[in-house]
Amino acid sequence: MIANILFVMFIGLAWGTTVGAGYVAFLTVFGIIPRLTQLTKTGNKIYAYEWSVVCGAVCGTIAFLREPTFSLPQILLLFWGLAGGIYVGMIAAALTEVLNVFPLLAKRVGVDDRLLILMMAIVFGKICGSLFHWMYFVP
Amino acid sequence: MAEIVYLRMRHRIQKKLRDKVLLKDLAQIVADPSSTAILQDLCIYEVSEKDQNIIVVDSTQVLRKIREVNKNIEIQLIGPAQTIIEVVFKRRAMSIPLFIIVWLLLFTGSALTIMNFHEDVSMQYVHQRLYKMITGKEVDKPLIFQIPYSIGLGLGMIIFFNHVFKKRLNEEPSPLEVEVFNYQQSIDQYVIMNENKESMKKLDDR
Repeated sequence: MIANILFVMFIGLAWGTTVGAGYVAFLTVFGIIPRLTQLTKTGNKIYAYEWSVVCGAVCGTIAFLREPTFSLPQILLLFWGLAGGIYVGMIAAALTEVLNVFPLLAKRVGVDDRLLILMMAIVFGKICGSLFHWMYFVP
Repeated sequence: MAEIVYLRMRHRIQKKLRDKVLLKDLAQIVADPSSTAILQDLCIYEVSEKDQNIIVVDSTQVLRKIREVNKNIEIQLIGPAQTIIEVVFKRRAMSIPLFIIVWLLLFTGSALTIMNFHEDVSMQYVHQRLYKMITGKEVDKPLIFQIPYSIGLGLGMIIFFNHVFKKRLNEEPSPLEVEVFNYQQSIDQYVIMNENKESMKKLDDR
């Protein structure tokens, strides 16, 4: 019995370790944190940002495993939604950058000077697609 | 004693068809005024119909041409060893319909992919549970969370690319510009190696 419990605990720990490592590797490839420190000129706070990601991931995991409920005002969700959206948006932007979509497209179509307008197409596409999805598409 | 002339080949220049490529186009020259005057109008190459849109002029070609004129010059090369000439045919105006098609393609494509992404990671379910966690109530469509989320999505992309229309948030180049630059740099590197007959010698080349 104890051996069983220990074995399950070991599996859980191993699982969590690999998923956590994978998550960090994923973030590293996208380079969102360096990008944000560059924009805000807070390169010396990089360790604080690392801990923020780790704490966020752990809190998210606990919240989803234990399902606590708090009776907090609805308005909090407004800010949370905005923050979550910005985060996902940055990942999406980083993904298009990693895949080298823009330079190729600009070369092929010959619009080196209008990259910005093309980028706005993707930005508005994401916003409209997302709004449409939540407001009409989901049952 | 031989006169010393310093040359620095330019990285990349643009020329039209049948243009003469002069030394002053290809390189920056540092020398006595008298020899600069002679050297700068030396014709190194002439762009002809045979050429494709990229020509690589190696510095050895330049040296040979200069020695034809004057053997008594010592040339010091600084900087890149070759210049890429981009032959500009008629300046192709980008067609507006094509641009609109590409714009719509990107717009609908990214809208579709974000919807797929949301379905893929069951985001609706996550949002519902999150709503319940914070407020203690259950709703089917937690729009108060989802609408800011959607706006934040676009905002995040703009922050990442450091551009709000023409306004920049910060004077640093955006990752997009760096990416375009890197891409151009890789192409230049490829062209330098492959179009320049001097830089690679194979067994069967004579």
